[in-house]
Amino acid sequence: MNLINFLQAIGIVLFAFIFQTSLTGINRKITARIQRRRGPVWYQQFLDIFKALTKTSITHGWIYDFGVIMALGGIAATLMMVPIAGFESFPGMDNIFIITYLLAVGMLGMAMSASGSGNPWAAIGVSRALTSMLAYDIPFMLVMIGLIFKFDTASLSNFAALQQTGSIVTWNIIKYPIGGFVALISLQGMLGKKPFDNFIAPAEIASGPMVEYGGKHLGMLFILHELSTFIEVGLIVNIFFGGGPTVIAFLVKYVIVYTLTNMVSQVLARFKVDQMVMFYYKVPLALAFIQGFIIVITNSGGVLWF
Amino acid sequence: MNSMNKIIDYLKETYEIKSVKSPMDMQFHFETEKKLVHSILGDLKSKGFKQLSLITAVDWIEENEFQLTYILFNWDNGIHAILNTRLDRDNPKFTTILPIFPGAEYYERDVHEFFGIEFKGNEKSFKPLFLEMWDELPPLRKDFDPQAFSDKTFPKMEYTTQFLTDVGGVNNEGS
Amino acid sequence: MVLNDKDMRSAWEKVENYFQGSSIWMKWYCTGCGAIELPPTLTSRFDMERLGMGPMATPRQADILLITGYLSFKTLRRVIYSYEQMQEPKYIVAFGSCTVNGGIYYDSYSVMNRLDFYLPVDLYIAGCMPRPEAILNGFKELKSMIKAGKAEGYKKYKENYEWYRKNQIHSLKEVYVKDEFHE
Repeated sequence: MNLINFLQAIGIVLFAFIFQTSLTGINRKITARIQRRRGPVWYQQFLDIFKALTKTSITHGWIYDFGVIMALGGIAATLMMVPIAGFESFPGMDNIFIITYLLAVGMLGMAMSASGSGNPWAAIGVSRALTSMLAYDIPFMLVMIGLIFKFDTASLSNFAALQQTGSIVTWNIIKYPIGGFVALISLQGMLGKKPFDNFIAPAEIASGPMVEYGGKHLGMLFILHELSTFIEVGLIVNIFFGGGPTVIAFLVKYVIVYTLTNMVSQVLARFKVDQMVMFYYKVPLALAFIQGFIIVITNSGGVLWF
Repeated sequence: MNSMNKIIDYLKETYEIKSVKSPMDMQFHFETEKKLVHSILGDLKSKGFKQLSLITAVDWIEENEFQLTYILFNWDNGIHAILNTRLDRDNPKFTTILPIFPGAEYYERDVHEFFGIEFKGNEKSFKPLFLEMWDELPPLRKDFDPQAFSDKTFPKMEYTTQFLTDVGGVNNEGS
Repeated sequence: MVLNDKDMRSAWEKVENYFQGSSIWMKWYCTGCGAIELPPTLTSRFDMERLGMGPMATPRQADILLITGYLSFKTLRRVIYSYEQMQEPKYIVAFGSCTVNGGIYYDSYSVMNRLDFYLPVDLYIAGCMPRPEAILNGFKELKSMIKAGKAEGYKKYKENYEWYRKNQIHSLKEVYVKDEFHE
């Protein structure tokens, strides 16, 4: 662990930020074309973030400031562990459990600072965010545990490497389609896109936890959102889509997964939080159990499907 | 029409009402004395006119009277019954109809705030509903001058450009 | 000879003004009858997102406050609260003729006549109500004003605060909100 690793880690964070922000801008244009209008320029998200960083901001005390910094630092640290097509800054530290655990730091940091602001809308938004985290994490973790049991490893780069031995039929999305489907539904919830974006809900609870943020805090929250999107989509691409032998292949798969997620979210309405929890505990949980059952029976040698 | 005529005949027999007219199809207006209002309203309510649609007032400043108007609606046959009474303008007091129609609470607050008519028995009608910190004449009376109030409280923009008024021919060619 | 036309901004301020002019978030709260012209401007036919503008939910996150149409004195008290909650730099755009000189409500007891006395206005858009094309034109003008560093309403408010406050107290008697819900 020397200086090169740290520089590589910082490079990955910068690259992820620039790539994801441009992709968000391009997706805003795609959303606009779905709604039959022109959209903003492709670098609009950069302009939004930098404009937010140049405004003056107010403060509600040190917990309010500290929570945002803690969330941003935690997410940046998590991002340094995600492998991109063989580039690993800290080899051996890209376990699924580490990444899933550290993703919670971001959410908890935001919850801490939002409750430090004292606004009742923020409290409602934070309670909704943590409830929906409880909803989408459980089917996701069940599918992950099934796959970890099958492949006997929990490291993301091993997952990616094991799927590149052969053609497209070795991808996990083809071999375990039920699990992949459940993971994609969980991804929709993790990214906070419709139909699962009830914790932001601009017209309902005045954008939830972000209600008192303005200026620099809001800019940092936008950066946080971009980085955590990169982590989550990168996780799914590495586990289910093969991870890519080259960086370009990884990025192409990433773009396809994120664009499909965005397009699905633009044509659906929003669920209430109790509807979301009930939904996640019915169909995706049942499918995750079926997937786990299939993995356990075929473990002794039989091949059910590919 | 049939049921409307029946109601009008019943009211004419039982109470003393004057100037009944029906300007539109399913409505009828009539006027009565102050002391009969409560009994007529209670009677109409038991005959099916269960909804109080509006309470409002008209300022007859030349005759020095306020006119209170009650509008009731019957959901069974779709008839509006409109009841008018006259009050003295210098001392406008009336009794509330809260026991008959509980929804009259906000209407009476409205009428009190904008016309100054006091309703005995409705304690909440003295609280302001729409206007905040208002200590002038009640605004919908006809001796309140809104233009003067607006000029005094909310100043306007001064125009320094002189507009030409004799170009264009509208005022000039008279024939 | 106009002396104050020279561009006296530092390089950092020029960069800041470029970013502030390229992405403007409006507060999704509009006061009078002009609010009916904002949804058509925002949706597919006259797309406002091309200019980089979009709605945000709270005054803390917004840059621009739109006074669309008439402003009654009750709303003016609450708008002053919202304006002072917004973070700098912030701009106000006034729509319609009611903000210029009272419009068709010039003789009403409850509507203010000239917005300039109470809050600093950066841009007026004329009309009753201005159509979406006029609104888009006005916003383009606002963007170029911000990028050139000429939209300084918030600085005027801070420097002449006593004058604005005197006018507010003269018309409203008290800016503190007193109503049934705050008892």
